[in-house]
Amino acid sequence: MTPEKMQYWHASVHDESVENTSGECFRIALAGNPNCGKTTIFNILTGSRQHVGNYPGVTVERKIGRCTIGGMRIEVIDLPGIYSLSNSSPEEKVAFNELLHQKIDLVLNVIDAGNPQRNLYLTTQLAELNLPMLMVFNMIDDAKNRGIEFDFPMLERYFGAKIVTTVGSSGEGMDKLRGGIVEMLKSGSSDQRGVRLSYGESTDAAVDELTKMVERSGFEAAKRLPARYFAIKLLENDPELSAEPRLAEISEAAAVFRNRLAARHGVSHETFMADRRYGMISGACREAIKISNDKRRQVSDNIDKIATNRFLGVPIFMAVMFLVFTFTFTCAEPLTMAVEWFFNQLANGIGMVWPEQSLPFFRALILDGVIGGVGGVLIFLPNIIMLFLAIAFLEGTGYMARAAFVMDGFMHKIGLHGKSFIPMLLGFGCSVPAIMATRTIESTRDRLTTIMVIPLMSCGARLPIYTMLIPAFFPGKAQSLVLWSIYLIGVVLAMAGARLLKSTLFKGGDEVFVMELPPYRMPTLFSLMIHMWERSVMYLRKAGTLILGASIILFVLNTFPVLHNAPMDGRIAELEQMVNPSDEDVEQLKSLEAGRRAEALRYSLAGRIGSGLAVVLRPIGFDWKVSSALIGAFAGKELFVSQLSILYSVADDEPDVAKLQSHLRESYSPLQGFCIMLFCLISMPCVATVAVVRRETNSWLLTILQLAGLTVLAYGMTLIVYQGGRLLNIGTALL
Amino acid sequence: MGRIEISSNMEDYLEVISELVELKGHAHVKDIADKLKVTMPSVTSALQALSTRNLLIYQSHSPVVLTRDGEETAQEIRRRHKELRRFFREILKLDEDEADKEACKMEHVVNERVMARFVELVEAILTRSDCSGLRDHLSTAMPQIAADDPEGLRSLDQLEEGRRAVIAQVAESLRGVRRFADLGIVPGTVIEMEGHAPFGDLLRVKVLGSSLSLRSNDAAYIWVKECSENDGGEL
Repeated sequence: MTPEKMQYWHASVHDESVENTSGECFRIALAGNPNCGKTTIFNILTGSRQHVGNYPGVTVERKIGRCTIGGMRIEVIDLPGIYSLSNSSPEEKVAFNELLHQKIDLVLNVIDAGNPQRNLYLTTQLAELNLPMLMVFNMIDDAKNRGIEFDFPMLERYFGAKIVTTVGSSGEGMDKLRGGIVEMLKSGSSDQRGVRLSYGESTDAAVDELTKMVERSGFEAAKRLPARYFAIKLLENDPELSAEPRLAEISEAAAVFRNRLAARHGVSHETFMADRRYGMISGACREAIKISNDKRRQVSDNIDKIATNRFLGVPIFMAVMFLVFTFTFTCAEPLTMAVEWFFNQLANGIGMVWPEQSLPFFRALILDGVIGGVGGVLIFLPNIIMLFLAIAFLEGTGYMARAAFVMDGFMHKIGLHGKSFIPMLLGFGCSVPAIMATRTIESTRDRLTTIMVIPLMSCGARLPIYTMLIPAFFPGKAQSLVLWSIYLIGVVLAMAGARLLKSTLFKGGDEVFVMELPPYRMPTLFSLMIHMWERSVMYLRKAGTLILGASIILFVLNTFPVLHNAPMDGRIAELEQMVNPSDEDVEQLKSLEAGRRAEALRYSLAGRIGSGLAVVLRPIGFDWKVSSALIGAFAGKELFVSQLSILYSVADDEPDVAKLQSHLRESYSPLQGFCIMLFCLISMPCVATVAVVRRETNSWLLTILQLAGLTVLAYGMTLIVYQGGRLLNIGTALL
Repeated sequence: MGRIEISSNMEDYLEVISELVELKGHAHVKDIADKLKVTMPSVTSALQALSTRNLLIYQSHSPVVLTRDGEETAQEIRRRHKELRRFFREILKLDEDEADKEACKMEHVVNERVMARFVELVEAILTRSDCSGLRDHLSTAMPQIAADDPEGLRSLDQLEEGRRAVIAQVAESLRGVRRFADLGIVPGTVIEMEGHAPFGDLLRVKVLGSSLSLRSNDAAYIWVKECSENDGGEL
């Protein structure tokens, strides 16, 4: 918080896009309320030439696009959707910083024409900045249908900015908008200045007085923006500005004015300026905006009567989630399999061409490490594409906010709110897209808390572990109960974890919950595609590289140093050379090969680390084989099974589950089996999850904290269960 | 200076005349009668009584003119009215009509010293920063006291589904009061209760044409006055 504050007034935001300042490039900022259609306009203006990043230190997205209009190179910044510039949320801070510290040639204020009164509130604040501004009355068709008529010349005079009308969804009015932009950029900013919004006689007098004081103080930020703006901010008691030491004196004077004015108008001094602003807008609206028929957003309201109904709301939400789940994981399955198939084929193909004898290490690295790693990255891509298509649709239509509304009661009990529900549910499918889905949560603390606990939702890749271990140790009747209990333990731990985090690390009583439920709309296919594209690229670029790197490291751990067991190798080669092997020989070859793999793995770094780990893991009932397999499971939870098969010398051509299960039955008690599952459920998430957590939290510290926290938790839980079970003699023998 | 002692009835006449002069530039007998809801002959006799005390000049068929003494007395009464009205509005949180009515009764009976000290008290409560706790208390507690009027103030979470109301007061102690203000939750805005979330404490309201959802315990800090059925509301 503090370093952020320090840079607030003095330094400028780090900007990765300013690098090519060669040649003239104009910068336009798109500002507007959430759900005003700002992003649609941004997409139309810039097409796919977008770059999505993050603002430093916060999880707010920073979207920048480029376009050329009338021969002018233009960079468009899509500011986060905000209701005001009051600094009361990270989005507002970011937007304000951008306007204050960056060179902005034009502000495009997008206004939902169907809801002018609320949208113009931000306009009053933008107008005070005295930057060149163009007002875009978007969704003008909707406004007309609702019988709202505007006196645009009057509004233009009032706010001192030109007005263009558009319909973002159909692209109507975009040419006029482009024309307006060109005209504004060409004319420069001079004709724009000097509009002063009046907040009533007594308030204006106070503002004037404070303006003079700010001017006299020589406050340097006031050179870029009008002193009057700072005077109003001080009168508003803006927390950041009032804390500025050089303005201390003026801020005291402002406090006196504020109290006096608030008392005079009979409102609280906290909300005094908001009250004045809305007062002014309703004045402007009365004169310039006429509503002939009061047809509200009827359709939308009617849908909501059902969708957020007290009784139907939850079932409908569940049905929608089922569809999203099916869409994300079932529809993507053929694609996922295709990706898998493709990389297998690729590895086989190269393997055929590349003789085993030449550069064997390098060959193995390319085939298993690199191709396997790339495959490991791309395997998630179909899920991510599908998921974000579904999420973009839910958000675009406005259902997402309803989902949060419906599920809030439940989530609130664990200290989160409704929006966290969807990512946590998706966690049952796969943690990677689930963590990416937390982007819909505005509150940073809630978002981080959700990310931290998502790995506890037992993902699909852990299912093979359960389906292998449960039948090995538990009788038919108890099997589903054990599986259920594992999932339940995950959910309970996630909820407890969220509660704990919200009351400790991410404690925050300061985040007020108020959420807009936008009217239902049909999103354009274009916006859905852009959104999907954006997420996929982001995943590939940021998380993908990390996953790839980690996969290669894990490959190295699993492979090197290479074991040379001459007698065994010789015998295998001998058997392979046989022209007409008998069944017995084939059997022998298979078991020899399996044995060699087990030996090799034991000899490898992973095996050695596993053996070392076994010392630590013995108290929770794990031997070196399980410990080594856990290292493999870091690359992907489902790999635990194949690693264990190798270590138990079970041929992996067609994983002989029954054989492995019998091996396991011989070696472990059901209690140990349960402990293995428990540990796999809770302990460190797979490498892809770690990478995506790093990407989404923007912090190695939190990533490592999560990794360590989960592992320690897993160890503790398993220790209690194992030792407790042994003490009470539960599950020590086969049931 | 010294105010000339006259009956409270007479003071009302001076007050009304002064207001009319300020508003229209002149005061006719008919306007005075309308405003005070009395007959024209009683106005005439009152004006005669006041003119004998040199408080105004009155000739039949021409507008009434206040003398300097008359003007001073009238201004004094109006000042008292304003201060008392402010006290009723902002400290006792009465609605405008009631505040006006009560101020009219009281303005005639307090002496100058009491009045001056009373003004200081009101000013202090309303503006001093060390009184903010008190102001908070007043804004939450006052509307509830003897709120026998069924159409009076109630907190937003008590508003029934489908009903519309005007926001009367937002307690300063509401967490994030500014964010709510930015979203249009300020006194004077029309608000409509749209419903509650399936379980838990979220409710949704329509404010300035958009639906907002907020927690009931936050809504408890927002005081509203219910609109009658046929009341419109801005936008």
